[in-house]
Amino acid sequence: MPHVVTENCTGCRFTDCVTVCPVSCFHGDDDRVYIDPVACIDCGACVPLCPVAAISEDLNLTDDRLEWIEINADKASALPVVREKQAPFPGAEARRASVAGRA
Amino acid sequence: MNPEKTTVKGACPQDCPDTCAFIYTVENGRLIDVQGDPKHPVTQGRLCTKLNDFAKHHYNPDRLIYPMKRVGPKGAGEFERISWAEALGEIRNRWARIIDEFGSKAIMPCSYLGQEGVLNGLTVGDAFFNRLGSTIAEKTFCGVGREVGTHLTIGPSTGVDPESLIHSRYIVLWAVNTLSTGNHHWPFIAEAKRRGAKIVAIDPLRSRTATQADWHIPIRPGTDAALALGMMNIIISEGLFDRDYVERYTVGFDELAARAAEYPVELVSAITGIPEQDILTLSREYATQAPAVIRLGVAIERSRNGGQASRAINCLPALVGAWRHVGGGYLGLTLSAFAMKWDAMCRPDWIKEDPRVLNLNNLGKVLLETSDPPIKSLMVYNHNPLVQSPDQERIKKGLLREDLFLVVSDLFVTDTAKYADIILPATMQAEQTDLMFSWGHFYWTYNNKAIESPGEAVPNTQLFRLLAETMGFNEPEWRRTDEEMIRDFIDWESPMMQGISFEALQQNGYMRTAVGDKDARAPHAEGNFPTPSGKCEFKSSLAEQGDFVPSPFRAGYEAMQDGSYIDPLPTYIPPFESRDSAPQIAAKYPLNIISPKAHGFLNSQYANEIKQRKRQGDPILIIHPEDARPRGIGNGDTVKVFNDRGAFIGAAILSTDTIRGVVASYLGHWGTDSRAKSAVNSISSDRAANMGRAPTFSDNLVEVAKVDSEAIEALSMGARRAAIAEHA
Repeated sequence: MPHVVTENCTGCRFTDCVTVCPVSCFHGDDDRVYIDPVACIDCGACVPLCPVAAISEDLNLTDDRLEWIEINADKASALPVVREKQAPFPGAEARRASVAGRA
Repeated sequence: MNPEKTTVKGACPQDCPDTCAFIYTVENGRLIDVQGDPKHPVTQGRLCTKLNDFAKHHYNPDRLIYPMKRVGPKGAGEFERISWAEALGEIRNRWARIIDEFGSKAIMPCSYLGQEGVLNGLTVGDAFFNRLGSTIAEKTFCGVGREVGTHLTIGPSTGVDPESLIHSRYIVLWAVNTLSTGNHHWPFIAEAKRRGAKIVAIDPLRSRTATQADWHIPIRPGTDAALALGMMNIIISEGLFDRDYVERYTVGFDELAARAAEYPVELVSAITGIPEQDILTLSREYATQAPAVIRLGVAIERSRNGGQASRAINCLPALVGAWRHVGGGYLGLTLSAFAMKWDAMCRPDWIKEDPRVLNLNNLGKVLLETSDPPIKSLMVYNHNPLVQSPDQERIKKGLLREDLFLVVSDLFVTDTAKYADIILPATMQAEQTDLMFSWGHFYWTYNNKAIESPGEAVPNTQLFRLLAETMGFNEPEWRRTDEEMIRDFIDWESPMMQGISFEALQQNGYMRTAVGDKDARAPHAEGNFPTPSGKCEFKSSLAEQGDFVPSPFRAGYEAMQDGSYIDPLPTYIPPFESRDSAPQIAAKYPLNIISPKAHGFLNSQYANEIKQRKRQGDPILIIHPEDARPRGIGNGDTVKVFNDRGAFIGAAILSTDTIRGVVASYLGHWGTDSRAKSAVNSISSDRAANMGRAPTFSDNLVEVAKVDSEAIEALSMGARRAAIAEHA
C-alpha cells in the first residue's frame, strides 16, 4: 500500500523524486519512473518535489486512477532502479509551467 | 485581501528516535501544512507515514477541546462539558478528601511519552506529584532494560553517530525495524550499502527492514543473548578478537571467555533456531569486516533475559575492536549527548519522607492489589495504558472501581479516557512551545508555537501550573513561563552545549550537540568509556548494586531500587514462557507471540485517523502456514488469540515472514474499535525483564483458534487483502 506515479510522469523526466527517496524505490525506463510498492515506506518525501504533480499516495487516488497501483507494481518489478537525476526531456519546462498554471 | 501565509520552525513531538525538524505553514491563523525541514542533516525534509497528515490531525473533529465530566456509568464514555473551574474544583475536593483519609500516597500519576518534549514530555508532571507527595510512578515501558544493559557495559556512552554509518562496512540491525520505527537512519545505511557494506537484520519477523537487508537471520524471541554469547565464543576460540584493544580498554576478558565457552555453536543453534553455519558466518564476518556496527532496537529487552541480552550484545564491539573506527561500535540511545538538568525538571528534593514507588507495567496489580494505602486516584497524561500496557483485563477491572477517581488529560477520548471521571483537553504540538531531545541522532530541535490552541485545550506545562495553583502550591517555579523553564532545564555550560544558545535554537530550529565531527568521530577508539573503570566492562562492576531504574524514569528518585541480583557476566536465561522453559503452559498455549510496532501508527497514536486505519488495516495475526494448517486456519480467516490473561481477534495472515511457533500482531489498534473490545496487549504478562523493570511483551504464550464465519463478514475485506499481499 504505497505511493504511486501516475500518468503525468510521462513526457518530462525531471526525476527530482528519485534523489530524495530513502529506500531507492523508483524504477524506470527511458520515458518515466514507477514506485516499487514493497520498498516504499510512504514517507511522502517525493510528492512535493514532482514539478508535474505525478505522485500520489494510493489512498488519495480517485477511482478512475486506481489502475496505477497495479501498473507501478508490475513495471517496478521489471525495470532497473533509478537513483540519479536524469536529463529532462525537451519541453519539460513547458509541462511544468502548464501544471503550475492549472494549480 | 491576500491571505497571510507564514512559516514557523517546529519539531516532531513523538516518541521516535528520529525527532524530525518541522516547517509549519500557517495561513490566517490556521495550520495548513507540516513538512520536514529539508536542511536538517538527518531527517532531510522527510517525515513518515504517521506524520504526513499532521496538520489535519490538529483539526480532527474528535479532538478534546473542553474539560468534561463523566455522566454515565464508569467506562461507558458518556461525558458532558464543564468549565475548567468546575474540573479543577472537583479535582481539589476529591484529592483533598483522599489525602485526608488515606494520605497523599493514595494518589498516583500514570504517564509516559505521548509527547516527548523537555517541557511537555516524560517528566512534565513529576515536580507537581513530588510536591503533592504522591506514590512515585516508575515508567519503564520502553528502553530502560536495554539501557541498563548498556550502562553496565560501556556506561552512558553517546555511541556511534547515525551520520557516521556511511563509513560502516558491516551493519547489524538487531531487534529493530528501522524502516517502520525510525526511517531516517536508512539513507545512511543505504549509502553504506552502496559503498559496499553488508546489511544484516536479526529479527524473528521478516520486517520491512529485514526484507531490504542483505541477510535476514530469523531468531526465536528472547534468545538473543545466547546468539551473542555464541558469537563471542566463536570469535574468541578462532582468535578473531582484537587482543590489543581487549588488553588496553576492557576488563574481565578471561571471565567472559569462560562464560562464552559455555555456548558452543550446537547449543546456540538449538536455543535460537538459527542454523549452525549461519552463526559461524555471522560471527566471522562481524569480527573481520571493519568497521562493524550494531544498531540495537528496544525490542531486545522485551523478554525475561532482555537486560542481559543487551549486556551481551554491548560486549561485542569492544571484543572485535570495532570502536577503533569511524562508523564502528554500537548505536543505541544517543540521549546522553543532551545536557538536561533532570533534577531541575523532576524536583526529587520535593519528595516527602517515606515515599512509595510502584511500577506502571504492573498497573492492573497496582489498581487491584495495592494496600496501605490503596490507590484511590490515578491521573493519566501522555499515555494510553489500555492499549500500551500489559495485562489489560486487570487494568480494565481496576479502572472500573467505583472508588477510583480517574483524571485523564489527552488529545482524544482514548480507550483509557473512556473510563475517566474528569477529562482535560491537551494541546497538540503546533499549539505549544517545546524543546526536543533525540534518542536517535545528535540534534536539539526547537518547536515554536505556530497556532493558538482550540477551545480550552492547554499545554501540559500549563495543566500542572493550574493544578499547582488549585492545590495551593506557592513556589516561584509554578509562575515560570515555558521559555523560562527551558532555560532552567538545560545545562548551558555543558561541553555538549558548546556554541548553542536558547535564542539560536529558537531561530535555527535545530542545532547539533558538540559531539564531534561525524566523519572523524570514534568516541572509544582509545577506551574512554564512561564506566567506573573507564573501560568496557565485560565483567560489570556496577552489577554488584543490583537492578535499578535510572532516576529520570522514576520522577528523579534514586532510592528504593529493585536491587535484585544481576550476574556480573553476560548470561542467557530462557524466557518465562516458551516451549522449552514452560512446557506446562506450552501444552495449553503452544505459540509465542510478538507485538511489533505498526508501520502506520505511533504506538496507539494516529490509530484513530481514518487514513491511518485504512493504511494499517484491521488487527492481523501473522502465522506460519505449518502452524495454521493443523488448526484449520486459512489465509484471511478470523481468529481468536488467547491465553489465561485475555484474548483479542484478528485476521490470520499465513506467511513465512514469521518462523514456526511464533505469531505476530501489530501494536497500536484501539481495543474499543475492535469487535473483541480488546487489543494485543490483553494477552501480555506484567512480568519484568531481568534489568530496568522492562516489560516482557515478546515473552508470552498463546493459542489461536478460528472463529465463526459470520464474524468474518464484519471485517473489512479490502484491508485484509492488502495485508495478505504485503506478506505474500
